[in-house]
Amino acid sequence: MALLDIKQLSIGFGRPGAPLIAVDGLDLSIEEGEVVGVVGESGSGKSVTSLAIMGLIDAPGRVSAQRMELAGRDLLALSPRERRAMLGRDVAMIFQDPMSSLNPCFTVAYQLMETLRIHVGGNARARRLLALDLLRQVDMPDPARRLDAYPHQLSGGMCQRVMVAMAIACNPRLLIADEPTTALDVTIQAQMLDLLLELQRQRGMALMLITHDLGVVAQIASRVVVMYAGQVVETGALPRIFKTPRHPYTQALLAALPENNLGRKRLQTIPGVVPGQYDRPAGCLLHPRCARAAPRCVSERPALEGRPGSQVRCHFPLTGEEPRA
Amino acid sequence: MNTPLTEPLLEARNLVKHYPVAQGLFKPKALARALDGVSFRLAAGGSLAVVGESGCGKSTLARQVTMIEAPTAGELRVDGLDVAQASREEKKRLRPMVQMVFQNPYASLNPRKKIGALLDEPLAINTALGKAERRERVLAMMERVGLRPEHYARYPHMFSGGQRQRVAIARALMLDPRIVVADEPVSALDVSVQAQVLNLLMDLQEQTGVAYLFISHNLAVVRHIADQVLVMYLGRVVESGPKQAIFDRPQHPYTRVLLAATPSIEAGGHRLHVPIRGELPSPLAPPPGCAFHRRCPFAIDRCAIETPLLALHDGRLAACHRVGTIDQ
Repeated sequence: MALLDIKQLSIGFGRPGAPLIAVDGLDLSIEEGEVVGVVGESGSGKSVTSLAIMGLIDAPGRVSAQRMELAGRDLLALSPRERRAMLGRDVAMIFQDPMSSLNPCFTVAYQLMETLRIHVGGNARARRLLALDLLRQVDMPDPARRLDAYPHQLSGGMCQRVMVAMAIACNPRLLIADEPTTALDVTIQAQMLDLLLELQRQRGMALMLITHDLGVVAQIASRVVVMYAGQVVETGALPRIFKTPRHPYTQALLAALPENNLGRKRLQTIPGVVPGQYDRPAGCLLHPRCARAAPRCVSERPALEGRPGSQVRCHFPLTGEEPRA
Repeated sequence: MNTPLTEPLLEARNLVKHYPVAQGLFKPKALARALDGVSFRLAAGGSLAVVGESGCGKSTLARQVTMIEAPTAGELRVDGLDVAQASREEKKRLRPMVQMVFQNPYASLNPRKKIGALLDEPLAINTALGKAERRERVLAMMERVGLRPEHYARYPHMFSGGQRQRVAIARALMLDPRIVVADEPVSALDVSVQAQVLNLLMDLQEQTGVAYLFISHNLAVVRHIADQVLVMYLGRVVESGPKQAIFDRPQHPYTRVLLAATPSIEAGGHRLHVPIRGELPSPLAPPPGCAFHRRCPFAIDRCAIETPLLALHDGRLAACHRVGTIDQ
């Protein structure tokens, strides 16, 4: 059975009559020890999905799903107490901006030991040793001295290492990383991705990496979930999905990358913008922007079809034999 | 590099900018060497990309070129005129020639002003045109950057990130500048929108012959848009030359590290290796010798003692003692 199993997750905000649909019937499953990359543009619902898994969406946001289970436990039926016991121990999350995710008023040691106090117990001295050990595991330079540093005394890369140390403190089975390297320089980004992958291998934890950077996903994920306007449009294993994408949106995203346009004067673009709250089209959500749209795409919304692990939401999926645009 | 026959549009010679940093009440001030002897040339209609990590001096360079700050030392010539020696009137004439596009279009547009007013302001301040004429010019520029006429009376919050960046680009072009300094103009945008904005920048350059000083940490974008590349590390140029030479045969170890660290969808299949350890050192206390030697996989004893100077090698300038002795 999958570690994380989500069926028909929907998340809406605002008035029930005319809600902003952030996530629309999302199916997602992550196996034990699997590295899954979730990609999509801003507003595609990537981050909201991860917040829903963590139980961080409060009213007036509405979360509903046919099934939303982590390690066999129903996430929607948890009491606040049960949820607190689960967060940090079974599932942990790293956020995008390390500088603003740490509390500026407390030292690194305090913030690391807080997680340990709740889930591990033991006396303060033992916890401090554990915290030091965690900083070593995330390759923090000069870890003993950093224990008593405040976040403002650390660089962005070091703050993100502290975030990772907090997240892995209790050996979670699933680590959600929401744009963990977007705020970092490329050199530090490479170090951070390497660290995440190493920790993932050592501990056998599952990693859900949310990003808009297709290059980052290609470096570390084994399976990719592509989202568009709150729906999953394609899932597939790497490198197949980037070599022969089956959904026109995946193909268009790849074609827009500068590295796929070497020697061309102009980049290939996707015309138009992601649909907003009031202009969600009928039929396929991509059809106003899709070069291959047919009458059927305008009238009928395609379903996510295929075998588990390789699915596509398109009436006319690409076969890989089309001439390149 | 062969000397161009005509004077370059923008030329920096040994540009230096030091900022004093307070260390505490009774301690002497320290000097942050944000720019430490930077030289480059930008020809009319050319594109020069400045790349490097945060803290390398990219944005300080932009502030010198746009005349927001005066350099501590060195020479900056815009259209043949030394900015440091220029009189108030001459500076006033130079400023409209150099315009800027900022990184974050959510922060760089005044939320209380309509798009029309935002684009009208440069004209109202710098030209003697009448109201109707200015409006005409604003609408013409909006059409050129792909905005519709009805957007004239809308506020920035009604636009997406890509459209806002179009507004910012339109504003920079209102005065027909010769140089546009673009500080990370697409890093806040999604892939598909990024491609639209890059295409727009290229089209506008073709139409107007404007020169770009393009600041970016995204090497894939730089490779697409630039023709000359300047790689900076801790306030100094470590490698500079034509794009082709730098991307095909990088010579400086730091350039190689940057290229290796840039994620590529081709890499695929868990081919990860950390090309570099540690972080950028503090500009308050740069390491002796080559500033990069503590992170450099190829450093030798000499690198810790002697600061390498830029020297011509294989069609570009590189500042490294080991240049030419490292295998490709």
